[in-house]
Amino acid sequence: MLRNKKIVYAAAVSFVLIAVFVPLPSLTLKGKGAVRGAMAPAERGASSIWKRLTETTAAIRGIGGAVEENRELRFELTRVQAELDGLRGVEADNLRLRRALEFQETSPHEMIPCDIVSRNISGWWSTVRLGKGLRDGIRKNRAVISPDGLVGRTMEATPFTTEVLLVSDPACRVSAKLARANVFGMIRGTGSSLRGEPQARMEFINKDAEIRVGDEVVTSGLSSGGGRFPKGVHIGYVEKVYKDDSGLFQYAEIVPRATVGLLDYVFVVSQAADDGGTR
Amino acid sequence: MLMLAVIALGALAQMLLPPFPLFGSLKPPVLAAAVLHYALRRDNRDMWIAVFTAAVLQDGLEPGSFGPALLAFPAIGILANRIRNEIFSNGIVTQLFLGAAAGLFCALVTLLVYTVSGQRPFGFGLALERLLGSAVLGLFTLPAVTRLIIRIEALMPKRRDYGWQ
Repeated sequence: MLRNKKIVYAAAVSFVLIAVFVPLPSLTLKGKGAVRGAMAPAERGASSIWKRLTETTAAIRGIGGAVEENRELRFELTRVQAELDGLRGVEADNLRLRRALEFQETSPHEMIPCDIVSRNISGWWSTVRLGKGLRDGIRKNRAVISPDGLVGRTMEATPFTTEVLLVSDPACRVSAKLARANVFGMIRGTGSSLRGEPQARMEFINKDAEIRVGDEVVTSGLSSGGGRFPKGVHIGYVEKVYKDDSGLFQYAEIVPRATVGLLDYVFVVSQAADDGGTR
Repeated sequence: MLMLAVIALGALAQMLLPPFPLFGSLKPPVLAAAVLHYALRRDNRDMWIAVFTAAVLQDGLEPGSFGPALLAFPAIGILANRIRNEIFSNGIVTQLFLGAAAGLFCALVTLLVYTVSGQRPFGFGLALERLLGSAVLGLFTLPAVTRLIIRIEALMPKRRDYGWQ
């Protein structure tokens, strides 16, 4: 009996170790697809409730000074304020959607609009999950953009959801150039600052290139670590410039604006204009 | 059933909670705390159900291969299940200590799996920040999760027993 138990434990441990260290991509994705597909509706519902809660809390906080006046007036004010806040939210949503629609219409790329369902569960990755997947034509390693610029690239696509690796993740690398000086470099995510702002670094910039704070950084269109991004997509602006320790290169800190605050809707580039995509 | 619902809700809560930039941008380990809670209070069978459900949810909703939670949660479950008769699980000091230990252990396993399998770039500073951060987050998460689960269970209607039969 004891021997049997030991065999069962040994088999379970071996199975887990194999699952962890010999990942079979198709099997892993099938398993993850099942979990994510099952959780997606709950995630969507929970995030919309969370959004409403945050809005209501903000509305109530905004009129904190009226508390001392009198109870009835306070309740009335709270109600009106919440209503007003709701209307403002609707107006903001309207503006955002209109901006997204205009962006999609004017962009030269073929794009799939997607809503963001949730964020990463543990914080070890800088990712977001989209509510569309393989069934909607999304594939791995496609650029994800928004009206504010480059968001990241698709990392794992399951039938109903897609995981997007953000530009600020240390595993995300993008070939980029400085729009003004036409100097090339490589963007690598560096996580987030203590204030929670996403950060990235443009590395391997020619040591003789003249870089100014405020220079615009855009995608170069060259292929880079795990994907090809369309040419000329805005990434951010140079915040600080440093000399590399080796003295051979310069590097610049940038804030990838499209990932700040993030985002209700993004677009997955299904075919870039410079790949022969037509619109 | 309630246990499974609580774990699913825990997964949703962990996803909605914001990351803490001060603690290496990690999120509070709600699922690990739920596993620890059930391992300290339920029998072996329930402990394994909780461990397996939480691990599959955590790893399934995370990018990369299955792994960190699948390795860390069973270890936490087995250990907590073994020592539960020797400790006072409702004591706040015990919970603070166990929470911190569970957080640290989960982060250590995650770091090892990601580094060995080459899924994440390794940086010493960030790794240290995350190990310490996860211990601090675990410290606060376990007592909070325990109190919440006990309160939810108390709200549920009591199962009727069948008298002396």
